[in-house]
Amino acid sequence: MSPPLGESVYEVFARKSRGDPLRHIGYVDAPGVELARVYAWKTYDEENWFEMCVVPRGAVIPVNRPEGPWARNLPKEGDER
Amino acid sequence: MSPYTEDELKAKIHGGYILESPEEMTPGYRKAIIVQLTVQADTELMSAPAYWLAARHAPSTNTQVSAHAIIQDELAHANIAYRLLEDMGVSKEHLVYGREPHEFKHPYGFDQPLDNWAELVVANGFFDRAGICLLGDVHRNTSYGPLKRALVKVDMEETFHLRHGEVWMRRLARAGGAATELLQRCVDWMFPMTIEWFGLPDGLKRHSGQLDYKLKGLTNDELRQLWMSSTVPLCEGLGLKAPAHYDEQKEEYVLEYPFPCQYDPEVKRWLFEDGEITWQAVFERWKGRGPMNERYVESVRRSRGAVGSWLN
Repeated sequence: MSPPLGESVYEVFARKSRGDPLRHIGYVDAPGVELARVYAWKTYDEENWFEMCVVPRGAVIPVNRPEGPWARNLPKEGDER
Repeated sequence: MSPYTEDELKAKIHGGYILESPEEMTPGYRKAIIVQLTVQADTELMSAPAYWLAARHAPSTNTQVSAHAIIQDELAHANIAYRLLEDMGVSKEHLVYGREPHEFKHPYGFDQPLDNWAELVVANGFFDRAGICLLGDVHRNTSYGPLKRALVKVDMEETFHLRHGEVWMRRLARAGGAATELLQRCVDWMFPMTIEWFGLPDGLKRHSGQLDYKLKGLTNDELRQLWMSSTVPLCEGLGLKAPAHYDEQKEEYVLEYPFPCQYDPEVKRWLFEDGEITWQAVFERWKGRGPMNERYVESVRRSRGAVGSWLN
């Protein structure tokens, strides 16, 4: 069964307070950027985050590790990116 | 494809190795963690409709808002666990919408109706505490990095649910009269329900691989003891009778009723007088699911079609 709304994955990053690192805290499925923002804010509401942002999974490019959730975004040979 | 054999992976894990992606999993590891996460996700998901129906009985608007905050947490926890499964190639869509209600893997306790506010707060005090025992152990011990991180939020929020349960149990116990009687009736059916939730005793446990792969650290009996070690003193402190006590000689909590035993869901009563039954009989009762199974599943699925139309 495929998702009814053409959802895709958004990685969620958040910073607890000023001066803290921006950490990867999880991910959500959403049909678009607007709902991804809402889902992230409502799903990861365990802290009063100073800063939160979402990044489409397809936009995270691995640098040194050829496996894991972002591996499919590795540039293929001959890719001009 | 995992670069390791089953034995190599187990040995690495016991040396402290943490997996960071599904590609590192062997077929045995993958199978074991899928079972674990499905139970976890289904349990969080089914707690939501159970709590939601009970929240209608909240004594005030403020208390209903607290109950709804707990429900929202549970849905987020379910979503997080289903999302982890999705990365292992298991369809969240199928798990939530494609199964028959009886195929969900939550415990039998979440097939039962919670009929009043006392039952809701004892569910927080007992069931959510069981969740903390189980998931806290997973958090401390799991060899799967993404799950360990996801559980930081889950543990934090389950502790809030437990506190909600304890505060209200204390309030109802102090109220005396009908409120305290109601609270005792909750303990009478919900204490053994939670005890059974932890599953087969270690002596009868089939080999699941969850300990070999360090998907958890404690055995069923250890978790049951852990749960009793805080629940029994809580009940005693509130003047409630829990069917278990600490045995100084054995240095553990012992149950004061035949375990396992049969349950009558219609009247919410354990049939202690009929004596001990086999675990086979327990599994059959679980498999038959409880009275609210279909209604709860239907209730979490209801608005699926509607979300698409809201977006248009």
